[in-house]
Amino acid sequence: MASRLISINSFAQTVTKMSCLRSPYRLAASASQRNFCCLAVGIAVLLSGCGPGPKAEFSLRDATGELIPAAQKVVKKTLDEKFGTPQNLVAWQRFPVNYGGVQGSVADVSKDGVTANFESDLPAIHKDAPLLWLSGPRAGAKTSVDSVATFDTTTKQLKWAGSAEPAPAAGDKFVIGYGGNLQTGRVVYMKNCMHCHGVAGDGAGPTAQYLNPLPRDYRLGLFKFTSTLTPEKPTRDDLTRVVQHGIPGTYMPSFRWLGDKETTAVVEYIRWLSMRGEFEKRIDDDLSNDYSAVAMEASAKKANEAYQSAMKTAKKEDRPEKPKTANQLTKAALDEFSKYEKDDLPGVINDTATLLAESWKKGEEADSLIVPTVARVTDNEASRERGKRLYLSDKGKCYTCHGVQGRGDGVATEDFWKKPGSDEYYSHRGLHDTWGRPLQPRNLTLGQYRGGRRPVDVFRRIYAGIKGTPMPGFGRTALKDEEIWDIVNYVMSLQFQSTPTKSIVTDHATASK
Amino acid sequence: MGRFWAVFFVASAVIAVGLCWVAPSHGLWFPGTLKGGFGAGVAHSSIGKRIDDLFYLVLVIVAVTYIGTHAVLGYVLWRGATIKAEEKVLFSHGSHSLEVIWTIVPSGILLYIALYQMDVWAAYRFKEFSPKKAEAVAEVTARQFEWRIRYPARGKTLMPTPQPDDVYTVNELHVPTGRPVSISLKTEDVQHAFFVPELRIKQDAVPGLTIPVWFDVDEPRQYEMVCAELCGWGHYKMKARLIAVSDEDFGAWKDKAALEQFDDGFKKPAE
Ligand SMILES: [Cu+2]
Repeated sequence: MASRLISINSFAQTVTKMSCLRSPYRLAASASQRNFCCLAVGIAVLLSGCGPGPKAEFSLRDATGELIPAAQKVVKKTLDEKFGTPQNLVAWQRFPVNYGGVQGSVADVSKDGVTANFESDLPAIHKDAPLLWLSGPRAGAKTSVDSVATFDTTTKQLKWAGSAEPAPAAGDKFVIGYGGNLQTGRVVYMKNCMHCHGVAGDGAGPTAQYLNPLPRDYRLGLFKFTSTLTPEKPTRDDLTRVVQHGIPGTYMPSFRWLGDKETTAVVEYIRWLSMRGEFEKRIDDDLSNDYSAVAMEASAKKANEAYQSAMKTAKKEDRPEKPKTANQLTKAALDEFSKYEKDDLPGVINDTATLLAESWKKGEEADSLIVPTVARVTDNEASRERGKRLYLSDKGKCYTCHGVQGRGDGVATEDFWKKPGSDEYYSHRGLHDTWGRPLQPRNLTLGQYRGGRRPVDVFRRIYAGIKGTPMPGFGRTALKDEEIWDIVNYVMSLQFQSTPTKSIVTDHATASK
Repeated sequence: MGRFWAVFFVASAVIAVGLCWVAPSHGLWFPGTLKGGFGAGVAHSSIGKRIDDLFYLVLVIVAVTYIGTHAVLGYVLWRGATIKAEEKVLFSHGSHSLEVIWTIVPSGILLYIALYQMDVWAAYRFKEFSPKKAEAVAEVTARQFEWRIRYPARGKTLMPTPQPDDVYTVNELHVPTGRPVSISLKTEDVQHAFFVPELRIKQDAVPGLTIPVWFDVDEPRQYEMVCAELCGWGHYKMKARLIAVSDEDFGAWKDKAALEQFDDGFKKPAE
């Protein structure tokens, strides 16, 4: 009851057949959790007289809303099927998300259950916990997810609710509490992150409108402060660091006080939300070429204007043909779409998931990580001087944005810039990030390090740039590692250019006089 | 009906005293290590113990007054309810000497408390009376919604402005145990309050001010550190830890933290 298999493919089958779609599993709230929620809501209503807030929902991207209705429906259906709703999460196993659970194997088969072996220390196993079979006969289609009926901690006897057939064999592998990480992550996220980052990770939670800079929108799959190369995704460690240390200079506080389990879970949940969002974006990108209602309206309007002006001047015999109206275009697109949905869409979904899963997997690989090939160049006057020259050189060009003094007031902040991929200009002067928001180059004299103050952090910022911002990467191309270290030394010294003052509180007694 | 009220007031007093009596053993008392059969939480700083002593002094005075007045109230109500028609009543309203007594006695008690607590107050709030050798261990800056902490490098003193070799942590305040230490409390935005319940240390962080707060910690372990001033919608997130360790461990921790902070990520290739 707590968990239900909704797809026909099992996990085990798809492990061997990598190409086919792996099955999503529903991760519903357990009965006790639900009861508790009902009780809590009931009490809250009695005490305050207010009803519960609106039901949490994964809102769709704006771009999805611009598609023709049929395409919108398909996108929504696909997302619901592959990722579920906030109340009913679905674990899509194609993605490299650690959904959680304890792995075990069958030691012995008895009359009405099995004795189990666990890889780690004996975990706490609750009634109704989902039991997912990874191998053996039970891993077949309809029986691969059971729920735990009883578990005896001393004899390690495990029984499950539902059919006994087909019986598992010794050595069969299973996971108990599959999806536990995602569920814990959801609870932590809803308590601490949702307020700013939004239910869907769109950076548009209720508080977001009061913040500057705005909270991150995970749905582009872009994270600014990472230890990986320019095109790569962040590692789990990168996200954990941000959760634990916060980002000074922004509203992101430190969540150091969360336990290890909660931190791991919420990082996994954020990765999953980001994958969900980017999956939607990529499907949107694919569909919006042909099935965007907004684009069709615009093109019909443009064609009509061209037609009208042509009609004024053209002679009778070579009058242009009347262009199609937006309605006609939409109707034509609709017919085409039903064919597309049947023939192409499954392939598109499959490829998108593959690409996305690969990119997140790649981020965790060792050669995505930026490791300086030389140790930090000794931080002395000479090195800083070299760094300063590079900072002001055409090779580094740091000064164009960060300013000659490092105050973040370079000439680039005075210009008007074009929106990427169009001829249109931003309405505000200065730089913008990939999310389209105004962005100030860091004032380097404040000693505020958003992505961490370790020299290696600053090195990585210069080496790979800051993802989603105009800060480019200089590693491997423009600058050698030694040169980057010189710039690091220079940049980190900017904060201390004024003379330090003497100690304030050395002795209370003297200080007070 | 008169008897009912007599019983009611006496019984409510008995219940109130009883609840207070059992509260400590049920964890409904001060936070801190529970000690002995009584089970009241004991403060983990010397000033905290003195503050607790003040509380207990006041509690004893209040308890005696409360029990005494309720005993008299009960007696008077009972007497009034059971008095026989032929008995002569005592009429005391307007008694000059009674009025003088119950004005002078409470005033004396209040004056005593006011004078007695001044020493503790001064020791905590005014620098002259705080331990002279309190070492400034860190600058604690509150902001919405976290604590950012800056320490001087090992063997150096805390400077009012950041130094290149300073060590930083966030939401974890490391301090040595067994000797008085002080922090410089600041806020980057609105008003916050630094509060370590088990040490009984609480101090508002006020915009524009750097406020020294001194305390000592007697037991090396972790303590909850929270914001005690409603500072915005994320106030509940301002939870942190005060990590108290022995002197040697404190030095070792600082070395380790500095090493981590100045990490250049370079790994020597294996030979
Ligand atoms: Cu606060």
